[in-house]
Amino acid sequence: MRVGVFICHCGNNIAGTVDVARAAEETAKLPHVVYSTHYMYTCSEPGQDEIKQAIKRENLDRVVVAACSPRMHELTFRRTVEKAGLNRYFFEMANIREHISWIGENKELNTNKAIEAVRMAVEKVIRDKPLHSTAFKINKRVLVIGAGVAGMQSALDCADGGLDVVLVEKSPAIGGMMARLDKTFPTIDCSICILGPKMVDVAQHEHISLHAYSEIEEIKGYVGNYQVKVRKKTPYVDWTKCTGCGECMEKCPTKNAYDRFNFGVAPTRAINIPFPQAIPKKATIDAQYCRQIQKGKCGVCAKVCRANAINFELPDQFVTEEVGAIIVASGYGLIDQELLPEYGGGRYPDVITGIQYERLLNASGPTSGHIQRPSDGTEPKSIVFVSCAGSRDKSIGIPYCSNFCCMYIAKQAILTKDHIPDSQSYVFYMDIRATGKGYDEFTRRAQEDYGAKYIRGRVSRIYPKGKKMIVQGADTLLGAKVEVEADLVVLATAATAAPGAAALAEKLHISYDTHGFYVESHPKLRPVETNTAGVYLAGAAQGPKDIPASVGQGSAAAAKVLALFSRDMLESDPAIARVNQNACVGCLKCVKTCPFQAIKEQELRGGEVVASVIETICAGCGVCTSTCPCGAIQLQHFTDNQLLAEVNSLCLS
Amino acid sequence: MNIEKLKEIVRTVLPSVDVVIGYKKGLDALHPVPCFVTSPDEIDALVLNPACTHNLAAYLPSLKKKTAVVVKGCESRTVVQLVQEGLIKRENVVVIGVPCQGVLSARKVLNAINHQPVVEAAFENDAVIVKTRKAETRLALNDVASDKCLTCQYPTPVLSDHLAGEQVESKVDEQAAYQDIRQFDAQSLEERRAYWLKEFDRCIRCYACRNACPMCVCRESCIAETRDPHWMSQKATLNEKMMFHMIHAIHLAGRCTECGECERACPMGIPVAKLKKKINMEMKELFGYEPGISIDDKPPMYTFKVEEEKIEEHKIR
Repeated sequence: MRVGVFICHCGNNIAGTVDVARAAEETAKLPHVVYSTHYMYTCSEPGQDEIKQAIKRENLDRVVVAACSPRMHELTFRRTVEKAGLNRYFFEMANIREHISWIGENKELNTNKAIEAVRMAVEKVIRDKPLHSTAFKINKRVLVIGAGVAGMQSALDCADGGLDVVLVEKSPAIGGMMARLDKTFPTIDCSICILGPKMVDVAQHEHISLHAYSEIEEIKGYVGNYQVKVRKKTPYVDWTKCTGCGECMEKCPTKNAYDRFNFGVAPTRAINIPFPQAIPKKATIDAQYCRQIQKGKCGVCAKVCRANAINFELPDQFVTEEVGAIIVASGYGLIDQELLPEYGGGRYPDVITGIQYERLLNASGPTSGHIQRPSDGTEPKSIVFVSCAGSRDKSIGIPYCSNFCCMYIAKQAILTKDHIPDSQSYVFYMDIRATGKGYDEFTRRAQEDYGAKYIRGRVSRIYPKGKKMIVQGADTLLGAKVEVEADLVVLATAATAAPGAAALAEKLHISYDTHGFYVESHPKLRPVETNTAGVYLAGAAQGPKDIPASVGQGSAAAAKVLALFSRDMLESDPAIARVNQNACVGCLKCVKTCPFQAIKEQELRGGEVVASVIETICAGCGVCTSTCPCGAIQLQHFTDNQLLAEVNSLCLS
Repeated sequence: MNIEKLKEIVRTVLPSVDVVIGYKKGLDALHPVPCFVTSPDEIDALVLNPACTHNLAAYLPSLKKKTAVVVKGCESRTVVQLVQEGLIKRENVVVIGVPCQGVLSARKVLNAINHQPVVEAAFENDAVIVKTRKAETRLALNDVASDKCLTCQYPTPVLSDHLAGEQVESKVDEQAAYQDIRQFDAQSLEERRAYWLKEFDRCIRCYACRNACPMCVCRESCIAETRDPHWMSQKATLNEKMMFHMIHAIHLAGRCTECGECERACPMGIPVAKLKKKINMEMKELFGYEPGISIDDKPPMYTFKVEEEKIEEHKIR
């Protein structure tokens, strides 16, 4: 075998702490190595040309590049060796940057370690087998999960690009969090006025099919060919008949149902249409509160419904959609006030959350846009906003910044002054984070033009005193304790992952961080991709973000899908599991553990049952190979022998 | 251990199966051997006493026949585990359960009688009377029982289609089941290491433990012998021996039914079952799981849970 070794300086990244010349000299002496050299930037065009020429000149049949992480440039070099006529899997990368030069300062030790890393790669490369991918067709439909502003943007962009879009929304109406907002920063334009037309576009677009009040039950398949089972939760109303007249809602005798849309600012009816502009404008029964469903007595809505749409027996329905790509825009959640006992933990009616205040400000909210204290309905004159209510607080496990609170507090302070000119707003803040375009000017306007008093410091305690709420805190600029008597306190509660985010991630086989936010493939260079091919991210599901960023990501994810679908065929990765059916004992533990359902049982002619891998579904994760008791399943390109050779080469030193 | 009852069961079962596996007399009264009954006239050769130690369930995966098998408590767990792992089909097996008060360790008996040839042996409820040419010795069953029997939790088979005898309650309470392991664990790391190095040094790599194990399924791809992948060399070094036994034990994590065959088969008397019992203890404490109890159990090592109850990985609200 004729192996060529190419050691990269990576400028000074590697050459600074690794003696690349000595490494090249030493590795040239390894068995099978016939050529070893070092180069300033191996990934550059001349660097790659050097590899190609060396393959021809030295008649190389295997190549090792010692440079950065394979996650960075493995694909680059695989293409290089392929262009020079080798199988792209006759290539190995030794990571001497992240694993060696960046983490050690001792040049001699680093150099020794680099030589060992190359030796391991050489042992592996001489055992590499040629692998070939197969091509398969793409189903050019896209699933978008979540119809908030990010998901709607993705859906519209894809649909405008001519793709068929399946849009699945968990709640009865689309619009997400943005549909609940009153005005938007920094322009104070009405949220529903700009979102409404988009919602109508979504509803009317010929390429978008909407499943509202639906959840993802199961996802099978792989990039290009997913089968998605959607659970259409029963609204107990036949939506094909419901006209959205709202008569049922008026007549429903249950008047204390929790209003999910309004975050419980006021009660609603057991059957309701969440808001006037709701799309689809259809009624949904909240089974938890419905007297007919709970006690079997009532049925008033069924009597008044002229369309005869009420059906208390209507079951959940399932539809299976076949798509080629998935955009996840499942949004975010908010922490429960219970986590903030020092602020009352939800016990005081006049301590509310930012999103609840948003509903009080909103003209189509429960108070028709009149700001009223929840306790007695009076107009508050002194209002305290507490930012970072839970955010940036390690003690409750939320070390991160919720991103948009600083800005919406400024907006709410401005709107408060508009609604109640003789009111006074106080804002307790840790830092003002206003980095977007026009954002800083906006927060200054709240202070300078609208007289909001900004107090830098945290609130330690909120408690009632008579009809007032006392807000105790510190002013860290004055270095003094402050106490404000407030009529109403608004907590900017921390944003969290959406409820059920982790469970959805498991179904999608994408990663999520310790807080439940979905992890992008690369924080800078692949911000909307996931590590699962064909699954993309948009909006706050990936981390708290404001409307412009969510919309931007929605479009970006759509662009990724359009790019993916611009081809007719995709190539499968041949580095997948294979079963040696002679060694397989047919226990089928691999079938049970495979997270992708990529292994099926197969009956041989003798009646023996063995495992068999479905090539296109296998993601090459290797779970089956470590499960198989007898090593009958081997992951191609990472076989036991190949890995063992690497370990042995390391242990021999 | 009621031999007449057993024979009666075998008589009724035999017409509906291809073979019944039981025990018959071996070279002496202490060493009964497996016997494969295929016709009624072979039934009278069957024996059943505390010297019947083989785990007959070990034959099941390789038999492509409808089989009835005589099993004691621990061995019934083997049947359950084999069915659970898909290595045998429940409908191909008729389980003849034998409630058991403990079996002999032939090694302990022979030590007690100074390795004299055994002429005859008689079995009582809690004792065995061994006759040699020179003497007759009465040994308490507790003193010469296999180690596994001293802490046995399942003297009555957990699964049986026919039961030859009355149910037997465990004499050892659940807390004490792993007492021997806990005592061993109480030693320092150095002491335990020294112990195992000394024990494994005697290993001759004959693989008797592996061959006797009813749960060892790898056949010719066993790590000890396969050359592709080439996990281990044939060198008889302590490292290689240790490696083999560790891998054997790990391969049985959540699968070992504690039948003790590995230890019984070892010609060098290495306490290899101790390793497996230790892992079973960990499995029980960590996952609340015991292998071979229910066919429908999901073995923890072969299932994926996002959150394990006793392992704190990540907390998400």
